[in-house]
Amino acid sequence: MVSDAADGTDARPDTTDGTDARPDASDAAGSSLVDRWTALDRGWQALALGLGIVAAHLVGQAL
Amino acid sequence: MTGVAEAVRAYLPGLALLAGGAVAATLVADAVPGLQPLVVAVGIGVGLGNTVGIPEIAEPGVSADKLFLETGIVLLGAAVAVEEFLAAGPTVLGLVVAVVAGGLLFAEVVARGLFRIGSPTSSLLAAGASICGVSAVVAIGRVLDARGTAITFAAATILLFDAATLVAFPLAGEWLGLTGRQFGVWAGVSMFSTGPVAAAGFAYSPEAGQWATVTKLARNSLLGGVAVAYSLAYAARSAADPGVRRLWAEFPKFLLGFLAVAAVANSGLLSPAALASIGRVSDALFALAFVGLGLSIRVDDMRAVGAAPVGAVLVHLLAVSAVALAAVRWLL
Repeated sequence: MVSDAADGTDARPDTTDGTDARPDASDAAGSSLVDRWTALDRGWQALALGLGIVAAHLVGQAL
Repeated sequence: MTGVAEAVRAYLPGLALLAGGAVAATLVADAVPGLQPLVVAVGIGVGLGNTVGIPEIAEPGVSADKLFLETGIVLLGAAVAVEEFLAAGPTVLGLVVAVVAGGLLFAEVVARGLFRIGSPTSSLLAAGASICGVSAVVAIGRVLDARGTAITFAAATILLFDAATLVAFPLAGEWLGLTGRQFGVWAGVSMFSTGPVAAAGFAYSPEAGQWATVTKLARNSLLGGVAVAYSLAYAARSAADPGVRRLWAEFPKFLLGFLAVAAVANSGLLSPAALASIGRVSDALFALAFVGLGLSIRVDDMRAVGAAPVGAVLVHLLAVSAVALAAVRWLL
């Protein structure tokens, strides 16, 4: 299946090159998370979201 | 976490547009007896897309529609009765493999012999019509190093048929008096793209929607094998692009999620209330996806499609759907 991740619709600054902007740690972690997510094939994204929703229901019924 | 907030903000206008369309579809379907909300969602999308268009600011969010469709399919795993599908599995799988293999060869012969369409356009049309619509056109186009115009041309032809069959198949199913299972499998092996197959199935009945989606997933899983076969046939790629890697690259990963959710749901780990809640989330994701599907159907783009590819795909569709109809009536 074709991933939409590579279509460049959400160009964001690349923070992985260690530039001297020194964003705070949570910003860097957030950007890294976004970059990793957008680099994923759409099928993997759907799989992760779907399993996450089912896991939330499992946790919810256990509480 | 401003990075996450910024990324999400870019998607909000489009998500709001999809959500607005989905809510409107639900309200209209509630008000008019007999109307299916998912079909209304597609209709609202088509209406909006061809009149006002998609505002530029909404494009990132609207482009998430396929992610919603695939996530909805993953969650649909919670609604399937595994025993029922395992019982019919070998028959449906055999039918899927036969229809895809026979359909590919038939489409190539019709496109090249009858309509004089050259390669690789003939192969793009054959793949799109036989496996999984536009995704297959793009995947096989990549394998064959097809020009962008050939891919666009073939994709537009497939989209034209996606729109037409989305309306025609449920009507034909009613007229033919098919059961939900028969209709779902028939639509799953005959129609082209995954979104319209699921939409047509759920427009017919919830049972038909499940069978249509599962059958279509089985068909989609053959994309990797077909990509390898085309790669070998055209010798377009070198040995640096091995078959197994290609098989895995084209395999729809969300299918694994669907199977995992089906296994969890059928193991009894989830309570009836949790299953019902997952079903509602799945329905909501389908509604968002089908508004997006409607928004992607552009009447102007379809006018530009030539007569030869339309003729070739029409002959293929009529022949394959007739054979598949006879098979589902005989076997299911």
